[in-house]
Order: sequence, then structure tokens, then C-alpha cells
Amino acid sequence: MTEATHTVKSYEQELEHLRSLMRQMGGLVERQTAQAVKAIVDGDDEAAIEPPELDPEVDELEREAEALAIRILALRSPMAVDLRTIVAALKITGDLERIGDYASSIARRAMKLDMEGGPSLVGLRSMGRLVQDNLRRAIDALANEDRDASVAVWQADAAVDELYTAMFRELMTYMMEDPRNIGTCIHLMFVAKNLERIGDHTTNIAERVYYAVTGEMLPSVRPRGGRGNMASLQS
Amino acid sequence: MSEGNGSIRDDGWKVNSTLAMRRRLMDRLATVLSLLATSVALIALGSILFTLVVRGVGGLSLITFTHSTASPGQEGGLANAIVGSLIQTAMAILIGAPVGMMCGIYLSDYGRGWLASTTRFVSDMLLSAPSILIGLFIYQLVVVPSGQFSGLAGSLALAILALPIVVRTTEDMLRLVPISLREAGIGLGASKWRVIVFICLRAAKTGVLTGILLAVARVAGETAPLLFTSLGNLDWSVSLTRPMASLPVTIYQYAGSAFEDWVQLAWTGALLVTLGVLFINILVRIGFGRKGA
Amino acid sequence: MIGQASQETKVAEKPAIAVRNLDFYYGDNKALRNITMDFQRRKVTGMIGPSGCGKSTLLRVLNRMYDLYPGQRATGEVLFAGRNVIGSGVDINRLRARVGMVFQKPTPFPMSIYDNIAFGVKLHEKLSRSEMDARVEDVLRRVALWGEVKDRLKASATALSGGQQQRLCIARTIATRPEVVLLDEPTSALDPVSTARIEELLDELKKEFTIAIVTHNMQQAARCADQVAFFYLGELVEMDSTDRMFTAPKETRTQDYITGRFG
Repeated sequence: MTEATHTVKSYEQELEHLRSLMRQMGGLVERQTAQAVKAIVDGDDEAAIEPPELDPEVDELEREAEALAIRILALRSPMAVDLRTIVAALKITGDLERIGDYASSIARRAMKLDMEGGPSLVGLRSMGRLVQDNLRRAIDALANEDRDASVAVWQADAAVDELYTAMFRELMTYMMEDPRNIGTCIHLMFVAKNLERIGDHTTNIAERVYYAVTGEMLPSVRPRGGRGNMASLQS
Repeated sequence: MSEGNGSIRDDGWKVNSTLAMRRRLMDRLATVLSLLATSVALIALGSILFTLVVRGVGGLSLITFTHSTASPGQEGGLANAIVGSLIQTAMAILIGAPVGMMCGIYLSDYGRGWLASTTRFVSDMLLSAPSILIGLFIYQLVVVPSGQFSGLAGSLALAILALPIVVRTTEDMLRLVPISLREAGIGLGASKWRVIVFICLRAAKTGVLTGILLAVARVAGETAPLLFTSLGNLDWSVSLTRPMASLPVTIYQYAGSAFEDWVQLAWTGALLVTLGVLFINILVRIGFGRKGA
Repeated sequence: MIGQASQETKVAEKPAIAVRNLDFYYGDNKALRNITMDFQRRKVTGMIGPSGCGKSTLLRVLNRMYDLYPGQRATGEVLFAGRNVIGSGVDINRLRARVGMVFQKPTPFPMSIYDNIAFGVKLHEKLSRSEMDARVEDVLRRVALWGEVKDRLKASATALSGGQQQRLCIARTIATRPEVVLLDEPTSALDPVSTARIEELLDELKKEFTIAIVTHNMQQAARCADQVAFFYLGELVEMDSTDRMFTAPKETRTQDYITGRFG
């Protein structure tokens, strides 16, 4: 964005601290999501323990980042790229915190679920991978202030939506085939929904990064997959 | 608790003691020397005033103001000299102040280049020129062609003396008017002369008036330029075309005379001139001193 | 003349002042380089930049204040009311009535409050006593000073507080019914409360006047201006709407300046 540093060094340090808080949060949330996906896809109960345990730490970081952002807003009257960075930080930390919650929720369901004899999870596996991958790229884009990477992430969410729609249809089919599947399938439905929400928040992060870097808003309508199909399916 | 409030140890207050001692000594010395110099000046001034008052007050009476100068032994006053001085000083200021102010305006706001610097140089020269030269100048210029000494010639000589003082103070005072005030006037669409006359001169009013009063004080006590111009007149005369009496010239003529009553009148005249000048100076201080003029 | 008349009819849709390819020199020193910008009608244009960047110089070109000083000259065009006002044959005193100026330090004239306002008006209009009274009251009301001074209009203006003096100066400027008001750091000598009053006043004034304000205070430009121009080393680096300038400036130099990354 700009190579020059602030004349007031403590200001520069505060902004750097804010960025490092975001990076820390990103790292934790990425870990939560990875473990949650591992737990649900591989039935790894060990992995399911970690995400909920990390939640308090993520929450604490969010509060710290928020307090710092408000402090800078109040005391420094930030302008231009600084202002955008701070506003983006407020939103991004919120998104990260939500992602952490969804990951914990997935992990908790993974522990309850008995997947033996359940429906095949091919769709869930690729969806989990994709969401996890997008999140990692979004957090990299955030760390590198990379405009192009953020656009790529923003566009990649279409695939997640498509996978979600496909899974929705697949799980419906299972439930219609055998009512004994309904319990498991509803859990899986929630897991899919949570993954889809993680995808949405990831997109938000990408949008915020793009705004902070360029000063432009991405268009409000983003390329979406699946939604149209699902609407017709639900009606 | 054993250490009181004032005895908290802090070595930051300690200074090299010989250095501090020397500083204090130098300080005392300088103070004493300047007090000494001041008192020398004050004593000189004080004794002049004292002598004037002691010698002059004796001759002060109503007759001094009502009677003109007369032959020795007769009852004479200074009325013609006082009025002559007033007239010539007033005339001098009436001529010198407007010209001086205009010249000061020229120098502060219009003059640039060699003409301005020459004008300023000449004006400053005039300020320190021996006043007798100015008397001679007017003598050649006015008295010789017209064939007689006159009050007008005296007024002109005094006007030339007043001129550089007014020029100087007007220029200086106008220069003190902040540029922003001029620009504010110009910014409203006023022409330059209007800004100078209605805003700058108004802002510099006290300073310029002070300059004029100082010029009055200066010329009121001048003798030399009047010797060749208005000459002096033993009789009552207020005609500008005839020789005219004045206090300084009368003092000059009487002080050296052999007649005791004339000498007394000279002292009285000197006291009056001094009081007049003192009064103007005090007026300047009281009236305008507060505004830093 | 015909060409000029038709130009004047078009003026309504055009900016109040259009600066085109303006260069300015202090002697041999070029202080403004090829400036081209518009001052939108009934909008506040903020001009920011570090000291010596030329923003005040530009302001002083707009009402030809630089004419006072020999060796200063401008080339290019400053189009106002259908004329190139830096060209020859312009009635400069009339220009200055139509393009008023308020200065950094309050500059009350050494006369009464009433006369401070009447002074400028008398230069351009012949008003009866009652008309003048009405004009004085009107402008004092508009700068929210009437209530404070209505009982002492004959008192010296120099006795007013700094903030009051500056509002008086603004009143004095708008009393000549200008179309454009130029303000050169009008609040830099004032306390925050007086500053807020002046800023509030600008909001009111822009309903009627085109305003150009030079300020060192970025927050002030952000608060008051509709569009902001950033100057650096005699160049107009960037000009945009205020929110664009302060949230997403295009030029790196602008960004570095407004975020405090200079030097």
C-alpha cells in the first residue's frame, strides 16, 4: 500500500500490533477449522477436542483487537489506508470469531456422531477441504495485504455454495430412503450449513482485505453457486 | 519520617559553588555600575531643573504674560515672545506635519528603489543637521529675496526641523501596522490610498501623533534657526511678514545682557520653555504611552 | 463582446472559478506549476498540503492579492464570471468585492464594529443610513454575532475576543455580497470552541457562497469541505470528493501526507 512509515512511531507500532492481533487470530481460527474438518471427515475424536478449547483464546484476542481499534480511532484520527485498515480489522476479527464458533460447533457434533454405517461423506470431505483452503488463503491475503489473492478467495466461494447445495440434495435423498438415517443426516446437515457459513465469513474477510488494500468495495453481488437451485428445491 | 518534607535528598540542586559565587559577584557589579551611571544623568538633569526653577520662579508674575518685552528698568514681560513662539511653532507644525506624514507614507508604502532610499537618507541627514544651517538656508531662500526678517521665515525654518521627525515616526509607525491589516483592506476591494488613510493611519494614529508632539517639543526650544529668520522683536507683533519675537531668541538676547531684570526675564523664559516641553513629553507619555507608542 | 455575453449565460452550470494551466512565480521562483482545477459553485473546496506547497499562493491568485507585491506574477487562466481575472483590463477592486477573503489572524480595522462592516460596503455601494443599518444587522446575524454585539455596535472592534473578531471579519467580507469567499487558515489562531463556531458558519454560508478554505488541519478539511485538493511542491497532486480523499486517495503522496507519513 505504502512504503513510508508514520512520522509518529508509536502510531506505527499500534497499527502493527493490530495487524499482529489479526494474524494471531487468523492462525488460531485456521487451526480450529482444520481440526474440526479432520474430526468430522476422518472421525478423529482427538482432533475434535481442540477447537472448543481454543474458543476463549480467540474471543480474548477479538476483544483486545476491538479495544485497540477503538483506541486508535479515538486518539489518532486515522485517515485513508490507516482508517480502512482499522475498520477492516474490526469487521475481520468479528468474522474470524464467528468462524471459530462454527468450527467448535462442528467439532462438538463430530464427537456425538456415530458415522459407522452412515451415508458416504465424499461431498462433505471436499467441502471441508475447500472451505479450509479458502480460509487459509484469505488469512494469507490478509497477512500479505494481497489484493489479487483476496479477489480469488472471494470468487472461490461459489464452489462451496455449489457443494453445499449438492450435499443438501444428497442428504435429503438419504433421509427419504431410510428414516433411520434422519438423525445422523440432520447433524450432517448442520455441519454442512456451518461449513457454508464459514465460507461466507471467509468471503467477508476477503472483501474487507480488498477494501483495506484498495479503498474500493467489491460489488455487493458476488458470484454464487447453488443458491438458485436450492431455492427451487426448497419450494 | 526522620527526614522532613524539605530535606528529601536530591543532588540535582547542587552547583559548582565557585562558579555560582562568581556569577553572583558579576551580577552585583553590573547592577551597581548601571545604578551609578543612571544617577549621574539624573543628578545633571535634576540640577538643571532645580536651577531653572530657583532662578526662574522669581520673575514669574502676571506681568510676564501680559506685557511685552521692554527697555531695561521698565516693567517688561514676555507676552510677545510667548505668543511669537506659539505662532511660529504652530505654523511650523501645520506646514511640517502634513508634508512629513505624506513623506512617511511614501517611504513606508510606495517608495522603492533609489528615490526612496535617497529620500530616507536625506531625511535622516536633516534629522541630525545643525539647526543653524537650516536658519541660514531659509535666510537665503526667504529673508534675502523678501528683504526682511519675518515670522513666516521663522516658521518655515522650524517646519524644516520638524519635518524629518514626522517623516521618521510616520514611516516607522506605518511599518508597524501588520501587513495582514493592509491585505484585509485591499481584500475588500479598497484602493491602496484608502487603506493607508482610513486603516493604516488610523491604526498608527497614536504613534504618528506622538511623533508630531515630539516635533513640537523639539522646535519649540530652537534658537539658532530663528536668529536669521524671524530675528526677534522687542515689541508686540503677530504679523507673519514682520520680525517676530520668540522665547528662545529672547532668552538668548537677554541672558547675556548687563541688566539684571533682563537676565531675570531670560531665566523665567527658560523655565517656561522647559515646562512647556516637559508638559508635551508628559502628555505623550500619559496619552499614548499605554499603547506602546 | 458578443462572445463574452454568450459565455456569461453559460456560467450558471459551470464552476464558480475554473483554474486552467496556472503557473505562479515569486521572482524567478516557480511556486505553482500548471494548476488546473474547478471550484464548484456553492461548495466548500478544502486545500491542504505541507507549508510552502502553494495552497495559500493559489488562494491569493484568485483575488489577485499578489498584485500588491512586485515580482510576483501568474500565467495561465483563472476564469471567474466569464473573465480571465489574471488577465489585463480587470477591475481588481471589483474582483475583490466579488471574491472576498478572510485571513489567518483576525484583522479587525481600528474602528467601531459597525464601521468595520460599513467600510467595505461603502466602497462599492451607495446605501442610505437605514439600508446600511439593515445590511450590518443582516451580516452580523448570519455570522451569529448580532446577539453578542448589538448593544455595542459603536464600540471598538479590537475589543472583541479572537473568535468574535474572526466572525466579524467574515461578516465584513460577506457584507460586500461576494460570490466567492476565500479563507486562509481562518481558525489557526482560535480556540476549539471558536473554531467549531466558524466551521458551523461555513456550513451555513455555503448555501449562498462558493467557499475555498486553506487549512493545515486535516480534520478541519474533512469536517468542512465537500471536495479537497492536495498540493505538494507547487503541484496539485490530487483532488477529489472529501470522503474519497480521506478514505481512499489515489496518489501515494496524498496518502502519505494525510496519514502522517511525511518527512
